[in-house]
Amino acid sequence: MTEIKKDIAWRIFIVYFAVCLFGLAIVAKALHIQLVEGADLKKKVQNRTLKDKSIDAVRGNIYSSNGSLLATSIPIYEVRFDPNADAITKDLFNEKVDTLAWSLSELFKDRSPASYRKELIEARKKGSRYHLIRRKIKYTELKQMKNFPLFRRGKYKGGFITIQQNKRERPFNSLAARTIGYERKDVTPVGLEGAYSKALSGIDGKRLMQKISGGVWMPVGDADEIEPEDGRDIYSTIDVNIQDVAENALMKQLETHQADHGTVVLMEVSTGAIRAIANLKRTSNGSYYEGYNYAIGESTEPGSTFKLPALIAALEDGYVDMGDIIDCGDGSKQYYDRTMYDSNYDKGGWGKITVQRILEVSSNIGMAEIITKSYSQNPQQFIDHLAKMNLRDQLGIEIAGEGKPYIKNASEDTWSGISLAWMAHGYELQMTPLQILTFYNAVANGGRMVKPKFVEKITKGRKVVEEIETIVLNPRICSKETIDKVKLALEGVVSNGTATNLKNADYKIAGKTGTAQIAIGGSYGSNKDSYKKKRQVSHQASFVGYFPADNPQYSCIVVINAPSRNVYYGNLVAGPIFKEVADKVYANSLEMHKELESQPFYANSAIPYSKNGNKADAEKVFKQLNIKVQSKAADNDWIMTSTLEKSVRLEPRSVKENLVPNVLGMGLRDAIFLLENQGLRVKINGAGMVKSQSITGGQRIVRGQEIQIELS
Amino acid sequence: MQVINKYIKGDRVIWAVALLLAIFSVLVVYSSIVTLAYKYQNGNTEYYLFKHSIILFIGFLLMYFAHKVNYRYFSRISQIGLLLAIPLLLFTLLTGASINDASRWLVIPIINQTFQTSDLAKLALIMFLARMLSKRQDNIKDFNQAFLPIMIPVLIVCGLILPANFSTAAMLFVTCLVLMFIGRINLGYIISLVSIGVVCLGIFIAIVMNSDVTNRVGTWQTRIENFIDGNAQVNYQAEQSKIAIATGGIIGKGPGRSTQRNFLPQSYSDFIFATVIEEYGIIGGTFTLLLYLILLYRGVLIAKNAPRTFGSLLAIGLSFSLVFQAMINMAVAVNLFPVTGQPLPMVSMGGTSIWFTCLAIGIILSVSRNTENEKVEVKNG
Repeated sequence: MTEIKKDIAWRIFIVYFAVCLFGLAIVAKALHIQLVEGADLKKKVQNRTLKDKSIDAVRGNIYSSNGSLLATSIPIYEVRFDPNADAITKDLFNEKVDTLAWSLSELFKDRSPASYRKELIEARKKGSRYHLIRRKIKYTELKQMKNFPLFRRGKYKGGFITIQQNKRERPFNSLAARTIGYERKDVTPVGLEGAYSKALSGIDGKRLMQKISGGVWMPVGDADEIEPEDGRDIYSTIDVNIQDVAENALMKQLETHQADHGTVVLMEVSTGAIRAIANLKRTSNGSYYEGYNYAIGESTEPGSTFKLPALIAALEDGYVDMGDIIDCGDGSKQYYDRTMYDSNYDKGGWGKITVQRILEVSSNIGMAEIITKSYSQNPQQFIDHLAKMNLRDQLGIEIAGEGKPYIKNASEDTWSGISLAWMAHGYELQMTPLQILTFYNAVANGGRMVKPKFVEKITKGRKVVEEIETIVLNPRICSKETIDKVKLALEGVVSNGTATNLKNADYKIAGKTGTAQIAIGGSYGSNKDSYKKKRQVSHQASFVGYFPADNPQYSCIVVINAPSRNVYYGNLVAGPIFKEVADKVYANSLEMHKELESQPFYANSAIPYSKNGNKADAEKVFKQLNIKVQSKAADNDWIMTSTLEKSVRLEPRSVKENLVPNVLGMGLRDAIFLLENQGLRVKINGAGMVKSQSITGGQRIVRGQEIQIELS
Repeated sequence: MQVINKYIKGDRVIWAVALLLAIFSVLVVYSSIVTLAYKYQNGNTEYYLFKHSIILFIGFLLMYFAHKVNYRYFSRISQIGLLLAIPLLLFTLLTGASINDASRWLVIPIINQTFQTSDLAKLALIMFLARMLSKRQDNIKDFNQAFLPIMIPVLIVCGLILPANFSTAAMLFVTCLVLMFIGRINLGYIISLVSIGVVCLGIFIAIVMNSDVTNRVGTWQTRIENFIDGNAQVNYQAEQSKIAIATGGIIGKGPGRSTQRNFLPQSYSDFIFATVIEEYGIIGGTFTLLLYLILLYRGVLIAKNAPRTFGSLLAIGLSFSLVFQAMINMAVAVNLFPVTGQPLPMVSMGGTSIWFTCLAIGIILSVSRNTENEKVEVKNG
């Protein structure tokens, strides 16, 4: 027995020894891996396993001055499907593929369920792990997709893969589109998006991600390495309501005159804040769109609007005064080989008039006379004086692409004997509409020239990060006396000069018309010969001014380029737009209104006139006003009213299903309610009470048909 | 302490080793489970932690009950176990649930737990071997009386495991040979059998490498190819495992700081030793290895002290089987062996594997417990 035990014992020890050797070999191999192969292996790790992935910061919004959203980022998604996810078994896939295909077809309505089914089955068969379902999916659609069969199982169990991207949206579409702008990869950024790109875009974050088996990236820790800092919000100076009016007015006028392009800019006098800036360009099919920021980018010969700076120079240098009499002759005058005409040449010209009158009636010859007489000895003095008033400098606005002003020196090759005479009324030089406006704004502002600004403040959440201060370009472009003198003349332009059509009783407008001839195909100003040839002439009509004239709050410029009809005078083409914008601003700004005298309340002494409409509404109002009502409409919702001596009579107006209702005499609200309830599309003209309707009441309704109503 | 003394019997060192391994297991599994949790439980690692802890707890219950049983009963139980294991192996081979293309698993109906029938067969066979060897000690050198009746069940069981799980079959076969060597079977027979075996294996490999059959044979084929070629691109697991070991260094990255777990498939099971080294360094790895060697050493002591041959062989057979499997697992992790699917006993995640390991340890403890009693009996008697 002990023999056996001893025999077994040594065998056990041999085995134990062998196992220990095995163990030693394992440790040795592990050490070998660490010490010998280690370096190479460690290198491989870093390449393959860890990666800093950037987390996109959310781009900030652009708001209007009154808080409407002008540009924002919305998420869109790309959805992919891993039909070969580990957790999707053959049975599961076959069971769900039909309903999944049906759901997709139902949601997107672009292809049949069978076609989707085929696609899904093929994707699985091909062994695809990243099959594209669809791009540009909206959040609401994504939410629905998350409930689809298979997809609702999520990423790993259902193979539902979503990739988020951000898309820039402008809720007001084309409104101020070029000024709001955009920023895209590999394209020069445009507008505020470009100018404030740094503030808007924020700082991308970083997160250390690790690749895990199956090609999945997983965050290494809970915390991001660098938290993304979301972009700041920008409050632009633009007022959407005024912008809307400006754009519509411009559109209407461009369409009427079939002009090539036009621009309107409204600026706040004291701060330089741009409240509206509209640019429209004609397309080949005759419609208009915001294609280029003409106000900022296009330098052209301004024409008569330049007479103001020219006159100010002459006044300041003491060569003339407003009361001086200048002989404008018979409406035409020869300067070397060129003849200059005044607009009333056919009526015999202006004759001898005062300097003030020259500006009011916009006499070319008058201005040419003043400037040539004043500066013929020293033309450079004129140029230097213009430069002193910042007219030769760019404004330096933050939006890219500002046009350069071009005013040549007397020493330049292109300078000629007629240069002074032509520059006096805005030729042989170029400026952008915004530069002209800034000058007029300075005049309105008592000589203080401020830089136009497009942004009021930059905020982060509710906190204001930066208030954009108004920058003064020139504290005093000329003396107070001169300002007062030219202001009077600019008021004269509207009261009894070239723009009497802008006169109105509510508030005074001061400004200057401009009608410039543009040589098509010639290079402006730089080459005298091509300028003289002028084979084909096009016009640029403009009006620039400010209002209310006695206490200027806003300045505005309108430039219409190449109106193709015969009407091309600044007051007629550009003036109405100016008027419409000014009216809107005036209506919105209580501080501009004169206080009305209080009026006695007449409600009890006379029975008011009432529109037709909803019976309950009408009765409520009459009851409130203690007016007697004679009602013949017991069960009707809609009534006609007739005003009697001491009461109002209500008569029923029947509204029947599928018949066009009669809305004559109703207010807009009731009319639209009735018509649209019947499935009609309503187009409205005018304001007030419905005067006529394009489809008369009682006719059978064709759903979706358009009905026009005229209000007055 | 008194309570422990009252209820916990048998070799204290083995108890301690088992407990240390279990604690270590929870730590490493909890860390390496992250990817699995991220993929299937929405990052809920606690789910796996909880499940694993419960399994270990049940394992220790099994261990406790096993060590309470007088080891002499296991002689009879081994016969029953083997009679149960053989039809189950056949059944699994034909119908079992397939993981990684191998029909190794059976689902236990009520608790819905998959278990590897080979685990049962392994335990039963080693116990049966201990029984046979101790019974035949008188004619142990004889071919017909000892070698053949002992060899036949070994060949049957290993043969049934082989098609589904080559590595387990091979490992079990080697374990049996070692046990037979300890049990004083004629060494000449063993050596000749091994020679025949090697020749057969050579033929088998030759067939595998030249066959077009996919499935399991295909897996072996590529595994063997990969190990021979050492092709880093293809042999992804081995490379990731090596990276884990290399980046672990001497003292490791610290508990829960492994990064290779994200790349290393089965980092919580077959390659858990790589994770151990990555997190606890060479020191932690060596310590783990030492725990197993201590376990084996205690098995050796128990075997030496056991008054009966059956007890000796049972203790050494089970402890060797367990430690040998551990060694194989570690050898795979350090790329000393080709990739096999052997878990690290007590440490790897996995339900029934842990339970059978616990049972085996419980039986070893039973031997040591009864040795103490028998010695007292001998002294008194």
